[in-house]
Amino acid sequence: MLRFIAARLVQSLIALAIVSVVVFVLARATGDPLYLILPMSASQEDFDNARRYLGLDRPYVEQYLSFVGRAVTGDFGVSLRARRPVSELIRERLPNSLKLAAFAMGVSLAMAFPLGIMAAVKKGTGLDRAAQVVSVLGQSLPTFWVAILLVEFVAGRLQWLPAGGIAGFSSYVLPGFTLGWFVVAGLMRLLRSGMLEVLDSEYVKLARVKGVAERRVIWLHALRNALIPVVTFAGIYFAILVTTAIVVETVFAWPGIGRLAYEGISSRDFPVIQAVVLTTAAIVAVVNLCVDCLYAWIDPRIRYAR
Amino acid sequence: MRRATAMARVFLLVLALLGMAVDGTGWAQPKTELTVALSSFATEVLDPPLGGHLVKYYLSMMFDYLVGTTPDGQPSREGGIATRWENSPDFKRWTFHLRRGVKFHNGDELTSEDVKFSIMRSIGKRSTTGYAGPLRTLIQDIETPAPDRVVIVTKEPTLIIPLYLSRSLSTEGMITSKKYVESVGDDVFARKPIGSGPYKFVEQVTGSHITLTAVDNHWRIGTPKYKTMTFRLVPEETTRIALLRRGEVDVAELSRERVKDVERDGFPIHYRREESILTMWWVLGPDGRVGPSKDKRVREALNLAIDRAEIAQSIFGGKAEPASVPLGLSWSFKDVGFKPTQDLMYPYDPARAKKLLADAGVASGFNLDVYAYQLPGLPEGKTMAEAVAGYWEKLGIKSRLIPVDYPAFRKAWFDRSAPGAVGYFNIANRDWIGAYALLEKQAYSASKPSDTVNDPEIDGMLSQVMRQTDREKINALMRNVYTRLRSEHLGVPVVYLHSPYATSKTLAKWNVGSVMYDLFFDQLASGK
Repeated sequence: MLRFIAARLVQSLIALAIVSVVVFVLARATGDPLYLILPMSASQEDFDNARRYLGLDRPYVEQYLSFVGRAVTGDFGVSLRARRPVSELIRERLPNSLKLAAFAMGVSLAMAFPLGIMAAVKKGTGLDRAAQVVSVLGQSLPTFWVAILLVEFVAGRLQWLPAGGIAGFSSYVLPGFTLGWFVVAGLMRLLRSGMLEVLDSEYVKLARVKGVAERRVIWLHALRNALIPVVTFAGIYFAILVTTAIVVETVFAWPGIGRLAYEGISSRDFPVIQAVVLTTAAIVAVVNLCVDCLYAWIDPRIRYAR
Repeated sequence: MRRATAMARVFLLVLALLGMAVDGTGWAQPKTELTVALSSFATEVLDPPLGGHLVKYYLSMMFDYLVGTTPDGQPSREGGIATRWENSPDFKRWTFHLRRGVKFHNGDELTSEDVKFSIMRSIGKRSTTGYAGPLRTLIQDIETPAPDRVVIVTKEPTLIIPLYLSRSLSTEGMITSKKYVESVGDDVFARKPIGSGPYKFVEQVTGSHITLTAVDNHWRIGTPKYKTMTFRLVPEETTRIALLRRGEVDVAELSRERVKDVERDGFPIHYRREESILTMWWVLGPDGRVGPSKDKRVREALNLAIDRAEIAQSIFGGKAEPASVPLGLSWSFKDVGFKPTQDLMYPYDPARAKKLLADAGVASGFNLDVYAYQLPGLPEGKTMAEAVAGYWEKLGIKSRLIPVDYPAFRKAWFDRSAPGAVGYFNIANRDWIGAYALLEKQAYSASKPSDTVNDPEIDGMLSQVMRQTDREKINALMRNVYTRLRSEHLGVPVVYLHSPYATSKTLAKWNVGSVMYDLFFDQLASGK
């Protein structure tokens, strides 16, 4: 198991190194950030001063080595826009995104489990089709549209829930639901197909023949074995929810890492872009590692096969 | 199976109950709090020399200016740290007499040393403020003969010092505490700023909000009416409106498009009339103007081809007025006595435009690149560019829209790598000194690379303004600059844009004023 984890760790570090080069190059390919930072009235002298002060006058290789050298110690430099250490900004924003993603994942699991199981058990019935419609809608309706509708009607017109910002549990409901609904389709379909496969297996038939209660067959024997792909999917999607909720965070005025990425990109704030992408990559790598370990733990054949 | 169905029911019930039960008290505020929802916080930097213009929206309540202004942008002895100022006969020494007994939020007294320190920081090399450059060029020394007296010595005779350090421009005139900045350092100061304004800093959560709390009593506004003032960053307009409807915010920035919806619900709308001028210009080449726009008749034709009234109505929902003077900042017109009479308005006259093109030898048209981009406060930017390009197409001009982001255009403009192409900007309106500062950048050849005009006559007049010490002569020069910009068609003024702000139904009377990047919350918060 340890060798398995070590191999995965090395792969993750290589991936992070590649990501660091790619993000460094791509960020600079977008153009000069000073055209956004400095006012229109700035003179050439102002440009030169700012470039020197922000370290943008150094050769690219030097800038990259300095960025990587500091990033290893958790120092991502200073934001060109906000003039604050980027690590501080990440520390401020990441917990908000983690909390929202956790809530959204809770919502999606709470929706996907009953829908997926119901759809499998009642295959081909109206309930099955209804469950699939609900889940597919979540994935096919544009997130920004769902978010804006919820803000307009549930928050603005009906005034049931807060429209934006973080202020207690209630403020998680609308953004959490918007994000969570998007994930439901994948989870529900995986669960449905997994359940269908398992429910048709010999050991489930045997359990039924032996007279085990149907509830026990479904929830204990079938569900547990149908969970492996769901766990993988949920793990990966959790990382995606944390790092890509830009639209939802923008609509709901949620100060998370997605918004930080958007602000960084729109102001060509290289240190922020680099830090967010590296943090994102690290989160994905860690979650993948955890999922792999969990996978290997659930099904021991996997670690021996690799 | 039954359990699965039951779980689904429970989940739906929980969501429904959650919706019914939650009353949204999280952001709701008592009446002692004023909450303002803005679409952007710009840099979110709380240190005046590092923030740029836009941070004025929230910093002007935290800091005092050396020279105050009235809500309509006139210098005010009541609104700033300086209660009066005078110049030496040669206009090279400006003495400012400071208000006594002004305290910073940490209790330290504000003195001339703080004023000197603040100005030096503003014009220092780290500064990214808009007017650090001209001030750096102009200021020779700052003397502090007494704690309540500052003397600014300039290299050249000038009238502009008090205005450049006033609330009507950027953040150069904001006063910070020397002792505090030196003791905690720049970085800590930017995170926990201390000023001397009517509100002091409490908290900043980047990407979310900035919270200020009132001082007990302040010379600017007396005992503040609101104990807390919160600026919330809410990029999405639907969310800002929902927050307003829920009573979670008192002031919300609004787009022109949504005014009717919000008005229908009974929320008062306050306009900053002519808050900006939407103006277009031709990018110059390395050696000045190139291509067909070199010909005055072509420039006039392009102006006559545009139906500004239709643009104002259909693209800006009637919340705009046709503009007639390139770079003509209308808030400065009354300062300098310039009257934009009806005969200066460009009529919509495609027939005459076509004739002018024929006279210029380009009757069959020519290729013209039009850069199209979104700008802050101008969601209609690309649509407007498309509409203008469409009008020009009708003249036979082959307009090619180039969709880019603004920095890409700005680079092409500054590098002069797209000579003859057209770009635009919604330039914030401002008083005469602000207008001069803008012209000095965008209509003055010596200001390469940002010049868009390249006219020796205008260069001559603008170079005189800075050195001129007779205000009447300055006014005459400014009037002549505007007249020349219009008569030579040195740009394509499109419309003046009105900016709407919606407020809660219970909010007091509010004069949003006409000061650049400043919503003048003084009046709302005033306990006087």
